[in-house]
Amino acid sequence: MAKVLIPTPLRQYAEKNDSVELAGSTVGEVLGSLTGQYSELRRHLYSDEGKLRSFVNVYVNDEDIRYLEKDSTPVKDSDTVSIVPSIAGGRRGD
Amino acid sequence: MIRIEREAWDKMVAHAQDTYPNECCGAMLGMIDGERKNVSVAIELDNAFDGGQEERYELRPEDLLQADREARRQGMDLIGIFHSHPDCDAYFSETDLKNSCPWYSFVVLSVKRGAFDHANSFLPNAEQTAAEKEEFEHPS
Repeated sequence: MAKVLIPTPLRQYAEKNDSVELAGSTVGEVLGSLTGQYSELRRHLYSDEGKLRSFVNVYVNDEDIRYLEKDSTPVKDSDTVSIVPSIAGGRRGD
Repeated sequence: MIRIEREAWDKMVAHAQDTYPNECCGAMLGMIDGERKNVSVAIELDNAFDGGQEERYELRPEDLLQADREARRQGMDLIGIFHSHPDCDAYFSETDLKNSCPWYSFVVLSVKRGAFDHANSFLPNAEQTAAEKEEFEHPS
């Protein structure tokens, strides 16, 4: 079972857990287990089209899955999966 | 509502002034009690924007991951993100909105001629189409 760390604002949709142990051999399977167990989380992580929201990054330990095999990135029992947002901005464009 | 304690606030203002005329950014850690957020720790993070940092900022996700780990280590929560607007007001710009995340509070500090002027906090929506102003308390 891989460990998934839940960001603070999303814990209210995951029975207040700060992390959960979930089954799955790839990132896609683990996230599927996560949103299967806590269905309310789905709309916070995925768009209506079923894609991860543009600001959502997923890390396996210290590695961004975009630079690995994305959803197919293998996950071992000892791995930690983190959900980390992309954040940027700037004063222009008001 | 979000409240920022003195030590964290002083660090945020100093970071915004030290990085002037560029934009600064950082993470805010603390505790959440229902609707009330209390920030007790501020962490300065690198502005990773590759270009004119006097009007843009970008956080490295791995830096945010480290900030979240630090929050967990200290038994706290990652509550929000702060950044500065040099020589203009503390509004939530279209660029801020389009690159935001609805999970956190976004504090914007206005720095004019190198000195802190005023600040606001915002809560963007999931569609990145609007951000409401959040009730905000900080030391003077």
